[in-house]
Amino acid sequence: MSRNLGEQFVAEYLANAAVLEAAGVDLTEHDACGVGLVAALDGKPRREVVTAGIDALKVLWHRGAVDADGKTGDGAGIHVELPQEFFKDHVRHQGHEPVPGRLAIGMIFLPKTDLGAQERCRCIVETEILAFGYTIYGWRQVPVNVAVIGEKANATRPEIEQILVANSKNTPEERFETDLYLIRRRIEKRVLAEPITDFYICTLSCRSVIYKGMFLAEQLTSFYPDLLDERFISRFAIYHQRYSTNTFPTWRLAQPFRMLAHNGEINTLTGNVNWMKAHEPRMAHIAFGESMEDIKPIVQPGGSDSAQLDNVFEVMVRAGRPAPLVKQMLIPESIGANSEMPETHRAFYSYCNAVIEPWDGPAALCATDGRWVMAGMDRNGLRPMRFTITTGGLLIVGSETGMIKVAENEVVEKGRVGPGETIAVDLEHGHFYRDRALKDVLSARRSYGSWTKRITELDSLVKTGAPEPSELAGEALARRQLAYGLSMEDMELILQPMVDEAKEAIGSMGDDTPLAVLSEHYRGLHHFFRQNFSQVTNPPIDSLRESGVMTLKTRLGNLGNILDEDESQCDLLQLESPVLSTAEFEAMRAYMGDTAAEIDCTFDLEEAESGLKGALARIRREAEDAVRGGCTHLVLSDQAMAPGRAAVPMILAAGGVHSHLVRERLRTWTSLNVRSGEALDVHYFAVLIGVGATTVNAYLAQEAIADRQRRGLFGALSLEECVRNYKKAVDQGLLKIMAKMGIAVISSYRGGYNFEAVGLSRALVAEFFPGMASRISGIGLSGIEKQTTGQHRAGFEAESAVLPIGGFYRFRRGGETHAHDGTLIHTLQTAVATDSYSAYRRYSDGVRRLPPITIRDLLDLRPAGPAASADEVESITEIRKRFLTPGMSLGALSPEAHGTLNIAMNRIGAKSVSGEGGEDPERYRPRPNGDNANSAVKQIASGRFGVTAEYLSNCREIEIKVAQGAKPGEGGQLPGFKVTVEIAKLRHSTPGVMLISPPPHHDIYSIEDLAQLIYDLKQINPLARVTVKLVSRSGIGTVAAGVAKAKADTILISGHSGGTGASPQTSIKYAGLPWEIGLSEAHQVLTLNRLRHRVRLRTDGGIKTGRDVVIAALLGAEEFNIGTTSLVAMGCIMVRQCHSNTCPVGVCTQDPALRARFAGTPDKVVNLFSFIAEEVREILASLGARTLNEIIGRTDLLFQVSRGAAHLDDLDLNPLLAQADAGGYARYCTQEERNEVPDTLDAQIIKDARPLLEEREKMQLTYNVRNVDRAIGTKLSHNITKRYGMTGLAPGHVTVRLRGSAGQSLGAFAVQGLKLEVFGDANDYVGKGLSGGTIVVRPTVSSPLRTNENTIVGNTVLYGATAGKLFAAGQAGERFAVRNSGAATVVEGCGSNGCEYMTGGTVVILGAAGANFGAGMTGGMAFVYDAQGNFPSRVNPDTVVWQRVESDYWEGVLKALIAEHVTETQSPWAEALLADWGRESPRFWQVVPKEMLSRLEHPVRREAELERA
Amino acid sequence: MNRKMLQFTHIEQRMPDKRTAAARRGDFGEVTLALDGERAVEQSSRCEQCGIPFCQIHCPVANNIPDWLMLAAEGRMEEAYALSSATNSLPEICGRICPQDRLCEGNCVLEQSGHGAVTIGAVEKHITEHAFAQGWVKPPRPRRELPQSVGIVGGGPAGLAAADLLRRAGFQVTLYDRHDRIGGLMVYGIPSFKLDKAVVERRVALLAEGGVAMRPGTEIGRDLSFAELRASHDAVLIATGVYKPRELMVPGAGLPGVIPALDYLITSNRICLGDSVPAFADGSLDAKGKQVVVIGGGDTAMDCVRTAIRQGARSVKCLYRRDRANMPGSQREVAHAEEEGVEFVWMAAPEAVFGERKVTGLRALRMHLGIADASGRQVPVPIDGSSFTLPADLVITALGFDAEDVPALFGEPGLVVARSGTVKIDPQSWMTSLEGVFAAGDIVRGASLVVWAIRDGRDAAGAITKYIGARAAAAAE
Repeated sequence: MSRNLGEQFVAEYLANAAVLEAAGVDLTEHDACGVGLVAALDGKPRREVVTAGIDALKVLWHRGAVDADGKTGDGAGIHVELPQEFFKDHVRHQGHEPVPGRLAIGMIFLPKTDLGAQERCRCIVETEILAFGYTIYGWRQVPVNVAVIGEKANATRPEIEQILVANSKNTPEERFETDLYLIRRRIEKRVLAEPITDFYICTLSCRSVIYKGMFLAEQLTSFYPDLLDERFISRFAIYHQRYSTNTFPTWRLAQPFRMLAHNGEINTLTGNVNWMKAHEPRMAHIAFGESMEDIKPIVQPGGSDSAQLDNVFEVMVRAGRPAPLVKQMLIPESIGANSEMPETHRAFYSYCNAVIEPWDGPAALCATDGRWVMAGMDRNGLRPMRFTITTGGLLIVGSETGMIKVAENEVVEKGRVGPGETIAVDLEHGHFYRDRALKDVLSARRSYGSWTKRITELDSLVKTGAPEPSELAGEALARRQLAYGLSMEDMELILQPMVDEAKEAIGSMGDDTPLAVLSEHYRGLHHFFRQNFSQVTNPPIDSLRESGVMTLKTRLGNLGNILDEDESQCDLLQLESPVLSTAEFEAMRAYMGDTAAEIDCTFDLEEAESGLKGALARIRREAEDAVRGGCTHLVLSDQAMAPGRAAVPMILAAGGVHSHLVRERLRTWTSLNVRSGEALDVHYFAVLIGVGATTVNAYLAQEAIADRQRRGLFGALSLEECVRNYKKAVDQGLLKIMAKMGIAVISSYRGGYNFEAVGLSRALVAEFFPGMASRISGIGLSGIEKQTTGQHRAGFEAESAVLPIGGFYRFRRGGETHAHDGTLIHTLQTAVATDSYSAYRRYSDGVRRLPPITIRDLLDLRPAGPAASADEVESITEIRKRFLTPGMSLGALSPEAHGTLNIAMNRIGAKSVSGEGGEDPERYRPRPNGDNANSAVKQIASGRFGVTAEYLSNCREIEIKVAQGAKPGEGGQLPGFKVTVEIAKLRHSTPGVMLISPPPHHDIYSIEDLAQLIYDLKQINPLARVTVKLVSRSGIGTVAAGVAKAKADTILISGHSGGTGASPQTSIKYAGLPWEIGLSEAHQVLTLNRLRHRVRLRTDGGIKTGRDVVIAALLGAEEFNIGTTSLVAMGCIMVRQCHSNTCPVGVCTQDPALRARFAGTPDKVVNLFSFIAEEVREILASLGARTLNEIIGRTDLLFQVSRGAAHLDDLDLNPLLAQADAGGYARYCTQEERNEVPDTLDAQIIKDARPLLEEREKMQLTYNVRNVDRAIGTKLSHNITKRYGMTGLAPGHVTVRLRGSAGQSLGAFAVQGLKLEVFGDANDYVGKGLSGGTIVVRPTVSSPLRTNENTIVGNTVLYGATAGKLFAAGQAGERFAVRNSGAATVVEGCGSNGCEYMTGGTVVILGAAGANFGAGMTGGMAFVYDAQGNFPSRVNPDTVVWQRVESDYWEGVLKALIAEHVTETQSPWAEALLADWGRESPRFWQVVPKEMLSRLEHPVRREAELERA
Repeated sequence: MNRKMLQFTHIEQRMPDKRTAAARRGDFGEVTLALDGERAVEQSSRCEQCGIPFCQIHCPVANNIPDWLMLAAEGRMEEAYALSSATNSLPEICGRICPQDRLCEGNCVLEQSGHGAVTIGAVEKHITEHAFAQGWVKPPRPRRELPQSVGIVGGGPAGLAAADLLRRAGFQVTLYDRHDRIGGLMVYGIPSFKLDKAVVERRVALLAEGGVAMRPGTEIGRDLSFAELRASHDAVLIATGVYKPRELMVPGAGLPGVIPALDYLITSNRICLGDSVPAFADGSLDAKGKQVVVIGGGDTAMDCVRTAIRQGARSVKCLYRRDRANMPGSQREVAHAEEEGVEFVWMAAPEAVFGERKVTGLRALRMHLGIADASGRQVPVPIDGSSFTLPADLVITALGFDAEDVPALFGEPGLVVARSGTVKIDPQSWMTSLEGVFAAGDIVRGASLVVWAIRDGRDAAGAITKYIGARAAAAAE
């Protein structure tokens, strides 16, 4: 039987997926999308609402992805009210007379091919409905047109039917709806119990129905002709377009869900789901009564994050809360971020936070409960949400503006939903609520103010001012430290800076020590935990600059029934931070009295072999007994450690108790407080909290601090000050670790296992840390016991109680092995200096002989066939082309070192990556001697420093650095002393002034954003390939698939060991995974999704030899970055002081005296790469292969030669070696040309602009645009740059006039000479990377809107702009002018985080600015018009000062810009300001970076101005 | 850890001050002056705190140099001493006489990159002297006394280092030496201007105070049989060093006035210590007023030439068959010698010694350097017809040392030795062919540095501790 391609794909996919799942590959999809709603403000159903929703969906296609067949989408759907008449007519048509009242419809996906299962499902559905006493009219086969969907979508298409239910009991509507919910849950549970898949109920409701599926959004009505029926009228329509990181069409995951549609990603999902399990036992509500158990588990397995959020949302709504209230509970606004929040709202949110942990992460929600329809935003406002209100009484909300065509003169208001905001329509009363009014209503529901007074704020209680106790000193202290394996390095390098500077210690270069599981030394259990981080599908947060949204607030005690709504829910203790000093802990302990039980976490060494196991069993039993006995607090402590008693690793004790209590359904009855002797660095705290601890006291670290304080090592600081500093460092570090995962709230982080184990036994993880990934298994309980007792004995029995020197962070003889070995470095340097391949082989053999450090050291090669002759193997030149030097910025590297690498790599046809920070235009042409110092690959990182149209046009490839191996999820700082004149010029900043790189790309909060950036980059450089750099972790496979679908050409999988100029030590050591794991997974999942042959895979992270290259190829890579080793070839000797600017060999410093010592040459680098290529050839020959392509992905040529040390349970690399069948496609990229993206309007513009491009003629062009016209002006800018240079044309040489709503990235990278004029409005990313062009956005002349009261441009406007102008007659969205370094702009209001990280340019805001203005702003100037006088409460004071405009010079600048704004936009508001300048000008604030005050040519203070005059 | 470190970018290297050459020539006082505390702090703070400390990698005892430099720079002297003495039993001696320019300082990243090494040796000496002055240096005091005893033959650096660790571990330790003072070549070989004898005495006294029994003037095989020695200890360590001089193999080498370096140096050291030595008194081992020629290019040769200067020689020449860059001795010592007036005759090898009843002169040949041999060093090749003569009243041969015939001396033919005479050991257990008999230092590795002897002594002590522990455990079962 011949199957069509879709069926074949599905069959192969399922078979492959089974293989990969067996290998532990995380195939969880990520998705993001476009979302929106339409509602009738008068609460009267009408047809127009439905058609508008359908129309809007049609112009959202670019926020989804389309399969290669052009027909299979990632899912789209619409949620509308149930057209009672339509279905009643159907009933009548069938010959029945419907009973009075509302009928209900179940929209059901049934198994399609297994008719038996299909029948069984029907039977269950009917049985459960009848069991509730309702009757059934029958089934209706939903008419569908399968011709419009792709083969793949069709192959997975379910049988789509509706069941028509009669309210034969005449139950009131609300109760009927609740009954239908209970019926649905019972059906779902019964089907789940059967061996049936492919059953899914979209909706079972008497109010609304959802039509969704795996078609392209524009095919919605073609596929479901029902929706074309005029009887489909509704008061609301919620619609959704999905973008999935997978290619497998899963119908049930299409949105909307029953209550909501969601754009974004829930970062705290694991924690939330675990806590919901913990909450479940106590959940009860009168609405469900006896049926409560039927609806559990609340969170249903197999759903996406959005689906699971919907599950919880639904149960809370069904328990009688209106949808807008549920939104505030699950996705609350941040109290800290809104300084103007009214007291009543504050109390309301405190109540919400006391009831349930927030679901945190980027979220734009559209939801309904039948009566209310609402749109809301997460606390960070990380997704766009624009709205329009029409004269016709429609509210139109969506991810983009302009999705529904509304004539401008029919618009009443254009606005946006800001961070933490919600807008809603009460359909019953036909009332529209803006955010403030809505929250007024919600917070008046109950007397939350008096309820929350019952919360006991422990901070005032524990801050008794009592002196910090200290009991240990000298040998007693040292013995304990020894028993925990602590070293002098821990004290000096980690602890000391935490106290000195109240910050974590900084280090540089990567981690080259063995994985904990491979180490021959004792490693604490925390070494086996690697921190999770966000990349692509969700953004990390900047915990430093955006601290307002972050919180460590910790609740302790008995958590109640989340479905209740009463004051007892506030009976709990609350702390500002889970980190407690010893005095604080003791005060808290005293307060708890006998409500707390103490559990000893030590065990007798003399007990039989089951000592640790027995102790853990005892600890869990005691915890359980205590909770059952009524204790509301548990204290786990290992203070009883003694010569004969070893400490149970506290991570095991805490994780064990937490998971045990969750299993026993007791967790929410108690807090879990921990006193650990081993806890010292931030990572340890994070692990403890991540596995479930409520509070942590590091008593022994504090004793160490006290000891050092007594010895005078902290200068004049008192012990209390020292402890405060340490605590601050830990607090800040915890925030950073949460933030890198995109989590803002610690209560949602706690117990979320936001880690991945490397080298922990799978059985152990399943028992103690359920749900955490552990791909390669490893050490188990018996091994841990052996290590723990061994270290304990060594500590207490050692001759002298002196801490060992260490060697984990920096090499010390007798300490950890380091892959960059001193002798081998010298051997390699000799080899490259003398062009000696034999010396190189000595180096390579030496590397091979080191003890196992990485996963690949446990692997060996197996020939594919008889050895080939070396002559037959592809040439060195061919192999070298696959090599790159990874992104190391000019700023980290000295210009000499940077240039040398570029010249060398160009010489051999390989590539060097520029790194972040721009490139000197001088380098764009080869030097007279032929050396080409231009980086072939230009990096674009979150700081966008020096990223201009010219920069992006002068390269063969553009690399988007999403994350960096040494610190994924974190930003960076270039300290002022490294910002030389030269660097400042390249980065468009001021010499000597600090530069900040944000943790996220502010235009990549989600996968469809990445697709947009790739789209933009492919416009500005129509030839360059685009690479996306990711960091290895579990789940990277699906991320990579999503990235491939976003049209990336190369995906780089970076290992954790990658180097860095400066990074927190715990990030270097504990974040990210070895590339072996991520690379193999990316290769496997891309193959699974049939995407591998369309995208190249590249890897890096500690690649040192030809053997490393070959293993990387076998695991799936075709290109290889070699960073640190290429630095070594240029003279680097791993001094690891890159962050100190004192590199003695001039590689990594900006100090001219040290740069003079640089002794690297291109020849040395060329030699290195030639040697590695030669070694690759030799190995290929021995494998019997002739080209690298032949062996890519051939994991069958690898086998595991070592299973690690004897005490390990197992160390199993097979998961990495599992192969997905490639189904006839190549296992490497076969595509020569890049993955092209659709044309933009620029294709037409360029055609029309021939006289400009060929004859330099001045032109004016005019077009109509819609939101689907994206990146307008970008490709034209490329052509202008290539022809005339970035500044070759005078401003305004060509004007392009656009009417309508411009799509995203309007004028991205637009250059001087180009002027874009929009009459209408524009979406996100206007003027991204603006490079000299002018953009004007203004309402149409006919628009009745007041410009300063309406939103006209979207979020993240002018991100990374370097020059040019933007005038927008209206408000801008969030993050306006973030990282602007040169553009001048006038807008009439902006959202939160305006001018963040700005380093140059002039910003004028003629209206209110949102919260956190000017955070991290170190350059440029801003003027803000403040009518309310509340600007000072919205500005972030860390790096800027603000004052009235005092100086005449600056007043002149301001006034001139406003005048230009009036000229360009005819803004009546701006005109009015100028007209009444005398009265209005005192309302302006001038915002100046502190560091710039002394550097400004024109002072801003009047005195200073006079002085200088 | 970099609070006060990484200062090399603006603080210059300043080696410890030295006494002027003129002042030095007049006596046997130490050449280098101690650093004052301030300078020690300043110079320590230059350290770059490298990720790979090449100083440590090239230190035979693997001193944690960057760490005690950091502690010294922060003024945490007691911790600095604790750390420095944790890896080295004789830090005050290594600080003085280690050829740092070939070890730690020579491999210092700052030296390699042209900034000038951190003055590691001087800081080490400063830390230890400061510790002595403060009374932090304590005799070895074991946590618990053990019944087992160890006999150590040879009171040089290997023996002392082993005694230190074994005593700390709780063993009863007896140190035997055939000389009348304990200290081996540190007393009798190395001149006082490099290492003041009081420094060695102080360390020996400290060990004695800690309970190490000292038996000077006891020669095994003469005063005590080897069998008796073995019978009275649970383990024996042979650390006798190598004393047999390599002989000059040219015509006239047997003439009076041609003397081996060690005889010359031991005599000089005895005189400095106040002993009377007849061969000095009769002038045969006194360079005063003589034209002295020293043959050899190692550290012993440097000691000889500089001793001769101090004895008031009329002239002192050093004859070496390779050039300065290829000599085995420390470049610093050569510089010192030149300052003090020694004349080096590079690329020259003796052809014959001549004289009637005693030596009056030396004939030598000019050499050039040929291609490298298997060891990688260029082989000196004579240049035909390049003979020249040098007048000489005293010719001191410093051509290196070989092992004596230990089995014969000890009367123990069962002790297996290599062809060169060095005692063979199992590299893992440090045990010789005889059960419970261990060996360490020059007698195993051949003539080498004091610091290597210390390392060997410490390693052997570890092996002995393990050996005795295993035997005790076996006996207990």
